[in-house]
Amino acid sequence: MNSMYGFQSIALKEFLHLRRDVTTLVIALAIPVIQLILFGYAIDFDIRHIRTMIVDTDRSPASRQFIDNLRTTDYLQIVSEAHNPMEAEDALRRGDVRVAVIIPPDFGRISGSPFGNRPQVKVMIDGSDSQVALRARMAFVRPATSGAEAGVDVRFNIMYNPDMRTATFMIPGLIGVILQLVTVALTSFSLVREREQGSLEQLMVSPVGRLGLMIGKLVPYACLALIEVVMVLTLGRLVFDVHVAGSVALLFLLSIPFVVATLSLGLLISTVAKTQAAALQFTILITLPSILMSGFIFPRDTMPGCLYLLTFLLPVTYYIEILRGIVVRGAGFFDVWPSLAALLVIDCVLIAVATARFRKTLV
Amino acid sequence: MNVIEINGLTRKFGDFTAVDDVSFNVEKGSIFGFLGPNGSGKSTCIRMLCGLLAPTSGTATVNGFDIVKQSEQVKQSIGYMNQAFSLYRDLTVEENLTFFGGIYGLRGKELADRRSKVTDLVGIRSYANRRAGDLSGGWKQRLSLAAALIHEPPLIFLDEPTAGIDPVARRELWDLLFELASSGKTLFVTTHYMDEAERCNQIGYIYLSKLVLKGTPHELKELPEVCPPHTKRIAIATLSPAPALSALKTQPFAVDVTLVESEIHLLMPDDTKNQTVLDAMEKAGTPGYNVRDVEPSLEDVFVLLTRELARKMP
Repeated sequence: MNSMYGFQSIALKEFLHLRRDVTTLVIALAIPVIQLILFGYAIDFDIRHIRTMIVDTDRSPASRQFIDNLRTTDYLQIVSEAHNPMEAEDALRRGDVRVAVIIPPDFGRISGSPFGNRPQVKVMIDGSDSQVALRARMAFVRPATSGAEAGVDVRFNIMYNPDMRTATFMIPGLIGVILQLVTVALTSFSLVREREQGSLEQLMVSPVGRLGLMIGKLVPYACLALIEVVMVLTLGRLVFDVHVAGSVALLFLLSIPFVVATLSLGLLISTVAKTQAAALQFTILITLPSILMSGFIFPRDTMPGCLYLLTFLLPVTYYIEILRGIVVRGAGFFDVWPSLAALLVIDCVLIAVATARFRKTLV
Repeated sequence: MNVIEINGLTRKFGDFTAVDDVSFNVEKGSIFGFLGPNGSGKSTCIRMLCGLLAPTSGTATVNGFDIVKQSEQVKQSIGYMNQAFSLYRDLTVEENLTFFGGIYGLRGKELADRRSKVTDLVGIRSYANRRAGDLSGGWKQRLSLAAALIHEPPLIFLDEPTAGIDPVARRELWDLLFELASSGKTLFVTTHYMDEAERCNQIGYIYLSKLVLKGTPHELKELPEVCPPHTKRIAIATLSPAPALSALKTQPFAVDVTLVESEIHLLMPDDTKNQTVLDAMEKAGTPGYNVRDVEPSLEDVFVLLTRELARKMP
């Protein structure tokens, strides 16, 4: 028998399946469009608008001139000003700014002096993202050529990741991204499987509460996910020599709200998807863009406005903030609490929506 | 005493009325057969009675609980067994029973006792540690029944419990159901098998979203639509039943002809002589013999009624 026998009928039948399965068709066609737009906009190696804090303790015409010159560069965006260097250090540890420029009180006096002394400026750079740190340094190289500032002695102080190692920056982010991928898939399958095998109906005629079902499904997978957190952190330390600068216990604790968020996202998917295949497609549709937009590889600050706003909706964005804060910068609870608050809000919204959607989808 | 009381129950999905003004009662301890063609509204009706779906209008009580206002109590007091095996295939028999006992609030010793009791009742003890997915069809249904019984509900809904299992397993399952009914439980069963319908105390027949009749199998067979006045029903044996059936259908005296096993069942005016029928068959080359009077079967009831209703409803 010809091994191509039946080819036409099979192909025709598959076309018919495709046409009937609207979800697959829409997702198959939507993924390239969405990904192309996201990749196109979000991937910008030309890092600009790095959030910068100015501590001008001099407040002389010369220091203002120096600051104005910094403003003209595209690399830096001056977002805040403070009065003493301590505040700058706090802002860096919280991740509010990446760069802090500290102008000493004698800046104006020295630069105006006839003895040719060069005034010193201290620039603290958050080294956790090596790309950003490199760009930030370049910002201070350029004005030096423009005459007036040629005489400024810029002293760089690379904080947190002084060697500017990529692993130190990537491993914490990877933990977030990997965890998200696994957890969303775990739960998105679990409810759809129950529907496919008919046990969901058996559960619905029992007195099991909707919330009981949802939370009951979350807890075991959350435990599994937390084991993964420990595994990845241990591996990061043993293999890539990435040490947790802050409290491991705090990191572990703050992983819980994140895992709950991604697992709930999975549950939400499973209230939409009718089959396990569709659940998988939805999972890809959601997790892939979030890898790009969470700040895992590309700094969120450089993304165009609407994309930047979208990043605030992703749980993994906050978790990566927390991870980098605690692992790289040794941040404490009070430095990362805004991210925690955001995660908790996302948790509540996702669980509420998933629970509400759940009843509708059964019948 | 009525375990189920239904009053004008109606459910619409958009323009489509899936259940239309259905009213009936089910007595305690009876086996109630809920029959009707696919898509006639049986499942929608059961879903409402189980508290899964709110009615558009009408009311119903199950075990004395209102299906809308007290749906949680309704759920606690009923068992439900689906046509498709809907337990967890990757869990063992015992794990499945423990789980279903647990979600009905059973704990500790009470759970262990009930589990043991239902395990023995359906006779599945020797498979207790086997994965549910590895059981054969009949055993799967027994396990489903055990799971539906573990919280000792007084009322059990069985949605086509014997669909797709072999005749021996089917008979054994029905023996179990009789045992349950005799112990005072009420069974609400849907089925497409006429022999199963014959075993029910009461039958409700739903057609095009309406409950068109209700009664004991015997009452249904005596309906005027089934046995019109001045007709009689005879059985004729023949060696070639299929051609004989076609031949008889065209005869003027044939009100209704059907095949039951290998016999022809013929409904005809009671003044028609048996010999007239035999002559007609002889002439068609499909001789008949061994003529006797028969009762209508339930199949006759439903076929004739459905035909009658289809004629009346546009």
